[in-house]
Amino acid sequence: MGESGSSGGANVALHPDDRHEEHAHSAIPYVVVWIALLVFTALTYLTGKQHLGTWALFIALAIACLKSALVALIFMHLKDSSGMTRLVFGTSLVFVGILLFFTVADVATRFRPATPAGAPFGTERSRPEGLLEHEMPE
Amino acid sequence: MSPEAASLPEGILAHHFASLERQNEAMRLGMWLFLATEILLFAGLFTGYSVYRFEFPLAFAECSRHLSLTAGTVNTIVLITSSFTVALSIHFARTDQRRAAVVCLALTILLALGFLGIKAIEYTAHFREHALPGKYYAFEEVKIPGAAMFYTLYFMMTGLHGLHVVAGMSVLTWLLWRTNQGRYSSRYYTGLELGGLYWHLVDLVWIFLYPLLYLI
Amino acid sequence: MRLSEDDSHALAGAPAAPTYLEDGTTVMSWLNTRDHKRVGVMFLVSVILFFFLGGLFALLIRFKLLQPGPFFLDALGYNRMFTLHGVVMIFLFLIPSIPSAFGNFVLPLMLGARDVAFPRLNLFSYYLYLAGAVLAILAMIQGGADTGWTFYTPYSSTTATQVLPVLLGVFILGFSSILTGLNFIVTVHTLRAPGLSWMRLPLFVWGIYGTSIIQVLATPVIGITVLIVAVERVGGFGLFDPARGGDPVLFQHMFWFYSHPAVYIMVLPGMGVISETVAAFSRKNPFGYKAIAMSSLGIAFVGFFTWGHHMFVAGQSTFNAGAFGILSMFVGVFTAIKVFNWVGTMYRGAISFKTPFAYICGFLYFIVFGGMTGVALATTSLDIHWHDTYFVVAHFHFIMVGASVMAFLAALHYWFPKMFGRMYPEGWGLVAASLIILGFNATFIPQFLLGNCGMPRRYYQYPEHFQALNVASTAGATLLGFGFLIILIYMTIALRYGQRSEANPWGSKGFEWLTASPPPTHNFDEIPTITQMPHDYRTHEPPGVIRVA
Repeated sequence: MGESGSSGGANVALHPDDRHEEHAHSAIPYVVVWIALLVFTALTYLTGKQHLGTWALFIALAIACLKSALVALIFMHLKDSSGMTRLVFGTSLVFVGILLFFTVADVATRFRPATPAGAPFGTERSRPEGLLEHEMPE
Repeated sequence: MSPEAASLPEGILAHHFASLERQNEAMRLGMWLFLATEILLFAGLFTGYSVYRFEFPLAFAECSRHLSLTAGTVNTIVLITSSFTVALSIHFARTDQRRAAVVCLALTILLALGFLGIKAIEYTAHFREHALPGKYYAFEEVKIPGAAMFYTLYFMMTGLHGLHVVAGMSVLTWLLWRTNQGRYSSRYYTGLELGGLYWHLVDLVWIFLYPLLYLI
Repeated sequence: MRLSEDDSHALAGAPAAPTYLEDGTTVMSWLNTRDHKRVGVMFLVSVILFFFLGGLFALLIRFKLLQPGPFFLDALGYNRMFTLHGVVMIFLFLIPSIPSAFGNFVLPLMLGARDVAFPRLNLFSYYLYLAGAVLAILAMIQGGADTGWTFYTPYSSTTATQVLPVLLGVFILGFSSILTGLNFIVTVHTLRAPGLSWMRLPLFVWGIYGTSIIQVLATPVIGITVLIVAVERVGGFGLFDPARGGDPVLFQHMFWFYSHPAVYIMVLPGMGVISETVAAFSRKNPFGYKAIAMSSLGIAFVGFFTWGHHMFVAGQSTFNAGAFGILSMFVGVFTAIKVFNWVGTMYRGAISFKTPFAYICGFLYFIVFGGMTGVALATTSLDIHWHDTYFVVAHFHFIMVGASVMAFLAALHYWFPKMFGRMYPEGWGLVAASLIILGFNATFIPQFLLGNCGMPRRYYQYPEHFQALNVASTAGATLLGFGFLIILIYMTIALRYGQRSEANPWGSKGFEWLTASPPPTHNFDEIPTITQMPHDYRTHEPPGVIRVA
């Protein structure tokens, strides 16, 4: 059962004899990234405690994105991976963005009285959170 | 190739793949596609979080302050370090340092256990305070609208994440056993790589959960 | 390497290797198979079974609707019927049908591969499908759910009917779908034969590829959504209960984020089938190969931007309604591109009016009218009148049945000799196709009229003056059912007693016809090297010989 054209075709295959270079593969990048992640964690902890209001969310998300990028590119080897795997990861993030955008845009642009009860700008709630009408104390 | 290298185990080529290299690439692509589905799975909960944080900003901020920031921060460090150790274990496997790879995997699993332990302590505290999701919410200290929703999201998101930690631990344990048997080397380490990828995803999710839950 | 006439005749006569059907005849050899062709056949049998079950529920609904008042079913029973009809047809038939049955069988053959990338995962996909099916059946035995297949909260989280097993079934079926899509994407990327570049891929492969992208990206979201509702039912805490500050519209956002792209999962593979069969039965190169290929990807991506058009009257913001309304207009462009290209393919072709071609004609007619009514529905101001009426029901049945099922039947007839080495009776094929197309029109055109006059969907009772159209619709449905039944009968007979076919009875230039019909387990004796465009009918080789090198 012969197979013609083993690693030919349109797909680019890594040359299998890169292996002898593996012994030169270094663990240093991992250590650097680990330390960077710890530093960023400290940073997000400190900025988080400041309670900076609206900016807090953006700063926290920005730091989280930086940390994720480090984990994805270095720990998960996305930097050295094929274009397709990078496209897969990137595409999934884009679609998370689509889902988030339109859903939050909905609640952000809605006619106010249609918001869930209890929102600061809605109608007054007469009973405490979590109790239904028939559970109200007398 | 040196005789020593030739004796190292390599992956078994399935009949339908043209080469081992192509097969390894397929395995990696398959795992990344699976990770994409996991990202979309969590995205549903992050969507709910975004909507309700937008609707109940005060309640979310207040409840967040009642979570144990120490526990959350320690857990973040634990998980980041576990990502580091699993990356190291792959590094050691592909440079033919089997024993170091085994040690690093074992460390990863221990750190994961530590994460779960800290989460268990947190959950116990929540149970004691009746800071529970939905209709079970009876937390004395925060009684404003939206508080129950925060805890519902908190439990759902950390719960789903915890399930993935358990799944990841199981996979890593199985890989630990195989690495100890010497199945991974410079000639073939794709299986270990895939397990590591899954574990990194678990870490990635937590990197976002930490600021969104603990640092509002 | 050229496949000579001797080889192809030798393949058609007595192949040296046993066919995939003969290679192991025990039950275990099927249940434990790694062969994509056997997995495909198992899926085929299963989806057909569930198609008839879903069809039975449809006939029960239509029977009740003969009378405007209480009749035959009580209100709760009626609600259960339309819920189960939707759940079975969508999750147990339409979503898996063409990809898991025909995609599984034909995709590796079209790529010159020996199997899909992950054969054991493929088998696992099938078992997940069965597990989901079992849960759904268990739910049905206990009466089933009454929420509609859309499970809108808070009704779905509070109603006493058997929603939980249905939700869990959907969750598991979702994973079956995800794993199939994942498998196909990796297969297309890593198992293409030498010389098979992206722009030489058969158009069915492009359709399956686009579908697989949707499956992988969209399905997890409905997975988590049904899980949250399940937790809300069981645990009493969830994200959608208004009493706890929840927003039911959030459920709809998360639900439709999947369910709108899902309709493209249901139709895109069908479009791939039509591309294949139009070229084969017009004996002409596809008009605008690149446009058809790229529009498959276009539908896959743009379909994700449109889900809010299911929610125009649900309470979302006007900004969202406007945005989704405009974005929904774009997705129709890709279908239009395909329709023009298919017609362009047929123009001045040498038409072979066999049963698959009859279904192609049906498909084209139904997708044009179904698609146009879809664009009309996507117009916000018009949808306010039509939402939740029979107009919507007719629209999506035009696509789901008129297009998708026609394509499924085209695939079934086109690839029947490939899969089983036998021919179905051509005369009966045309009879059934005629009955189906006629019966379909009789069923659903009255529903457009009913919906436009304001008859709501999912209503147990209706005003008297709608009865005539309802009776007409039921009569049509009965005719439609007969058509499907005839196919079931003659196909079952043909499996055993059908005339043995040659390797390439249609003279098609599709790459899957390069091997024997039915193929041996390993598909190809030698992996071909592809040097030509797919569907290339310009060459002067006699039918049955495909130049590959």
